[in-house]
Amino acid sequence: MGAFLIGVGAICGISTFLAVIIVVADSTIANYGDVKVTINDDKEVIVPGGRPLLASLMEQKIFIPSACGGKGSCGLCKLKVKSDIGDYLPTELPWMSEDEKKQNIRLSCQLKVKKDISIQIPEELFNVKEYLTEVVSLVDLTYDIKQVILRLIESAEITFRAGAYIQFEVPEYELTPEPVYRAYSMASQPSRKNEVELEIRLVPNGLCTTYVFEHLKAGDRVTINGPYGEFHLSDTDKDIVFIAGSSGMAPIKSILYDMLEKNIDRRARYFFGARAVRDLFLVDEMKELEKKFRNFKFIPALSEPLPEDNWMGETGLITEVLDRNLDSGDNIEAYLCGSPGMIDASIAVLTNKGVPEELIYYDKFA
Amino acid sequence: MKQTVQMKLIQEKMKPGVITRDGFLDPDRRNLIDILIEDDETVKRMGLSHQQVAQRMLEFRDAGMRGLGEFISIEPHFEVRVDSVRGKLPCPFGDPGIFPKTNVTVRNLERNEEITYTDLHIHLIGSHGFYEGKGSVFRLDPKSLVDTLEITGEEE
Repeated sequence: MGAFLIGVGAICGISTFLAVIIVVADSTIANYGDVKVTINDDKEVIVPGGRPLLASLMEQKIFIPSACGGKGSCGLCKLKVKSDIGDYLPTELPWMSEDEKKQNIRLSCQLKVKKDISIQIPEELFNVKEYLTEVVSLVDLTYDIKQVILRLIESAEITFRAGAYIQFEVPEYELTPEPVYRAYSMASQPSRKNEVELEIRLVPNGLCTTYVFEHLKAGDRVTINGPYGEFHLSDTDKDIVFIAGSSGMAPIKSILYDMLEKNIDRRARYFFGARAVRDLFLVDEMKELEKKFRNFKFIPALSEPLPEDNWMGETGLITEVLDRNLDSGDNIEAYLCGSPGMIDASIAVLTNKGVPEELIYYDKFA
Repeated sequence: MKQTVQMKLIQEKMKPGVITRDGFLDPDRRNLIDILIEDDETVKRMGLSHQQVAQRMLEFRDAGMRGLGEFISIEPHFEVRVDSVRGKLPCPFGDPGIFPKTNVTVRNLERNEEITYTDLHIHLIGSHGFYEGKGSVFRLDPKSLVDTLEITGEEE
């Protein structure tokens, strides 16, 4: 028995030793030299070998959307690899559908570039840039939502479509030893080219929101990159239904101001859900927009108003209010931004009213 | 108890920066098996099973979903909000699937306590009896969890 245990122990020890040697060798001895990344069969960049593709591209100022900063926990940084780079890693597989595997879609944060590689990325990502900004103001919109206005410095301008989002770089601080990135929709409209407005809701223990709520102050420098996203107003004449809750207000606000500036006079109704008056924000601003927009109506609704709220407006879950106020889905296009639960429930109401699923656009916080 | 090789590999995945930035254990330096055993004994001393704890967490989550991202009152004296942030996480024990970053925040108004957990927590507790390492950012202390959620083991 003793000899058996010694044998098992020896094998475990040797295995662990070899694994450590391999890891150490890969990170110190292995030198892959410079490798060539060919992008869309056209652009070529030279990067140091052995590093994750996402980080290598970022150093070349080519930004692939990623909400987790390269930890493989958001699944956003997918791109098509056109050359043979070996099998999928276990950390990639949970994110890949069968169809994506057939197309050799890979998770760029997990993929280390050890030899020349050819990739395909959407052309619009070449428009994504990094911007250094300064915090102009921080305003408490509610007890757990902050409005953050960032001014682009060095006369930089950002060009985007209303509804887009940026990535906010959280620098090293007590909760993170290295920079991390989080995605936030822009509440500012595209005409505000040299500033970005965000509406950020506090997430319990959230790395970025803790930083914003407890450390960020006016005058601080913040690095962002963007714009990203496919959530924007389509070019039709259909009536519009906006549905949002909480910080889902941001992209809808951007779209509304953009419509106003472009004289887009489509009929628009905006259903905004909150629990009580203390969870509502920008109501006065939305009411002002109603005066400027002949065809716009803002419909805030409270699911559990407090007696002291003296609320005279709509009550109930936003889906119930939507159900009561929308007679038919004819000629309707819907834009939703909020929690997955709210979006799924809203889609059910809209489709039940006859709004085709392909005319329901949404940005899930997921 | 001696930690198996397989458990050693799982513990590697729980280190900071592998699956999550903060990991599942840090600063708890004990072997995973010892962490599991201590929390298992705590839960058993309260006359409960991990599955009962996870079931109650799931019930609050499901009830909170009705709030569509906002707090919702739940009898007799709870408020629950189910919120999401972008991203998903795999189970460090290697179970199939990925878990959305859904934050369930339960306020016990009578005890004036609040607790936040995710879908992955429910899975880790229900399937593995794992509450994360002591002092780690996302640990759910079993006693606090049971007290705040008022888990009795009876049918809710």
